[in-house]
Amino acid sequence: MAQVELSKISKNYGSQPVLQDIDLRIGDGELVVLVGPSGCGKSTLLRMICGLEDISGGELRIDGVVVNDLPPMQRGIAMVFQSYALYPHMTVRGNMAFGLKIQGAGKAERDERVVAAAKALHIDHLLDRLPRELSGGQRQRVAIGRAIVRQPRLFLFDEPLSNLDAALRVKTRIELARLHRELAATMVYVTHDQVEAMTLGDRIVVMHAGRIQQAGTPLELYEHPANRFVASFIGSPTINVVSATVLSANPRRVGLELQGGAVIDVPADGSRLQLGARVEVGIRPEHLGVVAGHGSAQLANDCRFDGEVTLVEQLGESHLIYLRLPDGVELVARSAGHTKVRIGDRIALRAEVERLYLFDGAGVACRRLASDILAAA
Amino acid sequence: MSQISTPARRAAGIGRAALVHLTLGGYSLLVLFPIVLVLLNSFKTRQGIFDDPLGLPTALTLTLSGYAKVMGDAAMGHMFLNSAIVTGVALAAILLLGAMAAWGLTEYGFRGNRLLSLFLAFGIMVPIRLGSVAILQTMVALNLVNTLTALVLVYIAQGLPLAVMILSEFMHQVPQELKDAARCDGVGEYRIFFQVVLPLIRPAIATVAVFTMVPIWNDLWFPLILAPSEETQTITLGVQQFIGQYATDWNGVLAALSLAVLPILVLYALFSRQLIRGITAGAVK
Amino acid sequence: MKQKSGWHVLVFLAPAVLVYTAFSAWPLLATLRLSLYGTDDTGAVSFAGLANFHRLLFEDHWFGAFRNAMVNNLEFFAINSLVQNPIALLLAALLSLRGVRGATAYRTVLFLPTLLSVVIIGFTWQLILSPLWGVTEKLMTAIGLGDWFGPWLGQESTALTTVSLISVWQFVGIPMMLIYAALIAIPDEIVEAAAVEGAGPWRIFWQIRLPLILPTLGLVNILTFVGNFNAFDLIYAVKGALAGPNFSTDLLGTLFYRTFFGYQSEMGSATMGAALATLKILVILVGVGLYFFAIQRRLQRFAL
Repeated sequence: MAQVELSKISKNYGSQPVLQDIDLRIGDGELVVLVGPSGCGKSTLLRMICGLEDISGGELRIDGVVVNDLPPMQRGIAMVFQSYALYPHMTVRGNMAFGLKIQGAGKAERDERVVAAAKALHIDHLLDRLPRELSGGQRQRVAIGRAIVRQPRLFLFDEPLSNLDAALRVKTRIELARLHRELAATMVYVTHDQVEAMTLGDRIVVMHAGRIQQAGTPLELYEHPANRFVASFIGSPTINVVSATVLSANPRRVGLELQGGAVIDVPADGSRLQLGARVEVGIRPEHLGVVAGHGSAQLANDCRFDGEVTLVEQLGESHLIYLRLPDGVELVARSAGHTKVRIGDRIALRAEVERLYLFDGAGVACRRLASDILAAA
Repeated sequence: MSQISTPARRAAGIGRAALVHLTLGGYSLLVLFPIVLVLLNSFKTRQGIFDDPLGLPTALTLTLSGYAKVMGDAAMGHMFLNSAIVTGVALAAILLLGAMAAWGLTEYGFRGNRLLSLFLAFGIMVPIRLGSVAILQTMVALNLVNTLTALVLVYIAQGLPLAVMILSEFMHQVPQELKDAARCDGVGEYRIFFQVVLPLIRPAIATVAVFTMVPIWNDLWFPLILAPSEETQTITLGVQQFIGQYATDWNGVLAALSLAVLPILVLYALFSRQLIRGITAGAVK
Repeated sequence: MKQKSGWHVLVFLAPAVLVYTAFSAWPLLATLRLSLYGTDDTGAVSFAGLANFHRLLFEDHWFGAFRNAMVNNLEFFAINSLVQNPIALLLAALLSLRGVRGATAYRTVLFLPTLLSVVIIGFTWQLILSPLWGVTEKLMTAIGLGDWFGPWLGQESTALTTVSLISVWQFVGIPMMLIYAALIAIPDEIVEAAAVEGAGPWRIFWQIRLPLILPTLGLVNILTFVGNFNAFDLIYAVKGALAGPNFSTDLLGTLFYRTFFGYQSEMGSATMGAALATLKILVILVGVGLYFFAIQRRLQRFAL
């Protein structure tokens, strides 16, 4: 298995910069997920690692060797495409054996490896079918099988699940995780779905507008997002954001006045903040809970929001409450189980101060310092 | 693990590109050479044509006498007009009738729909010329020999099968919702056809137009058989006779050829992009 | 998709169907029927059963001409198939490669001859190949092949080949375009997948792209076949109706023309012409049918 290193990688189309300053190290056997909105450059980066796109600047190393100018096969890479890209005129067996044939493997060896991979993916009964006779899920397995059979150093996946229906997607996700453990393979995986990213990745790389916003474990990204973009990207529904003004700031605590008037004290590193500066406070929906006391006076250091319910979504195992604040801002809260709250109710939502996120005027996060969060990092 | 150095890989790429351009460029030269040769020499005197066929016209050999002769031949203008009328009318009819028939076949299910499609498709495979005997007899019976009408009718029949086939393909791609919405609004079938569907298949119409127009303009067979009289000669037939007549008057002949090529070259230069896009988009079915 | 029928369906379909039937379908059938009639010396026409065909196939005079035309036509088709279509394939393959600069310009130029009138093409090449003008001779001498030049169009042994090559020159654009369209319809990802698996350009072409365009190649072959067996214009433009020298460039099309209209001393015969046309239809149908059953059936259009 391989170790991959990207140093100062950049990509331009003509004069148009598409990727800039990409620095990333992928360890042997790691599954790294590149995630981000459409157009962020993740697929381009994957294709550059693969060798299908030229690298405009920087160095790509696999196992310590610079591979910028090597064609894909010589990098020891296999790729699973979003549309599977199976050869329509070959049977499943033919599809899977094609790469081996090129490598010069003899017929017996090819058959052996193809059958073994097919069995592992439960498609051995489909070996003599043509791609058009297969369902989407089956085609995807053939695509994966085609990659496995070549025993590459590095697996690349380009949004492999996006063409599957929801149920199949969950099932296949689990299988991919299993595959990763069994093969102990180094994998780079591209998706726009943050749930996929969180569940599959050993590490996640969040990308936006051609740059890496943050690379870290799922929990790191959840608890310590580097900036507002990452905080919004990870977590569903999206994190709530309210404005606030800095009343006091030191490396351990930041005093804020929230836009609704509440005054709170957040355990975060405020060394960069200026007094009076406008900042943003992030509150995850799962950290907002309904409390009594709507309309009552604000207590000290009580992050409470009073408002009117505009929408309630009951999902069975959880529910979402949409609250409109007097100044027009809308918050979303998520809690377990059912709720008796109804549209039009006037209620109060409260979040624990230790759970808040803080972002400066430029969107960069101030490091959260609550003790249990520190332990998780 | 071996590593090809950067310069080597780039060199291999350049080498391959060179081969590609050599082949494409070489064949392009082969294509352009005869045409350019004719054009160049049409501006030379007879002597110049013979002595130095490959060279550019020099001050000594430059002449427009060939063109003068051809253009002075009043019949040329008349034949040009004939070609224009026949091609224009036939084309318009093929497009209109073809679109209507394509619409009728793709939109409405009725007994014999498939059979009718096959019937029309047959015309693509079996060339209309094979029925020339009977066509001539029909024209004689209808008193249409040596008329432009005869040519128009025959060309319509010739062009319809391919037109219907190509237009049908494009009509299949018109979203069903558009038509349903129009019907829900109470729009009549004719209106739907003329105001909703036709504008949507404009690229197909352009493709069909070119595919149809060129064979009609260049056709030798039917003008020869149905309308060879001086009154009704088309430009293609006319140039053929002209060449036969002035076989040794080289610069006149070359001028005639150049003039005959010019309209097509101009049209092509203007429309080549649309044409090629149309062909590559819809032709392979 | 299907709507209820009504009068409007008739209105849409009638004009096209009428014209087509009157001037294309019916004349074909009428020709078939006419072929069963004979013309005697007075010009009167009477039912003669298969007599015309009998004459065509068994009378030396007729059969000789027919066989000559058939053989020539087959040779014409062979040259077109073996020269035109591979060249078209090569050009289309090169044009469809990614990153070829000026591909659009090449495409435009290469398609040009198809648009030109056969009369122009025919005469232009006659001039170029003419020993009188000497252009070709001069060029060939310049590259050292001067000894090979000859009055190819005027020699019985080479006339047909030369005319075939002129036809190739003119019509290579159509198969080229059709094949090109088929090649660019292959999704990029499939070619990329092959590249990632280590396939070089040759392998990609032979094992991936070519198999996927086989249906189009089949179509191209059929169109070539039908077109070749219908050829007339070029021969007429270059060699005249007599298709000399000594009928060596005579194709079924020119034979048909002469039979129908007569030439020089021989009178034309509508009925014999009809019979010949019928045979031509048969030849085309048999050819296409054979092709379909023998080859096309095995080629499936693979769902991409």
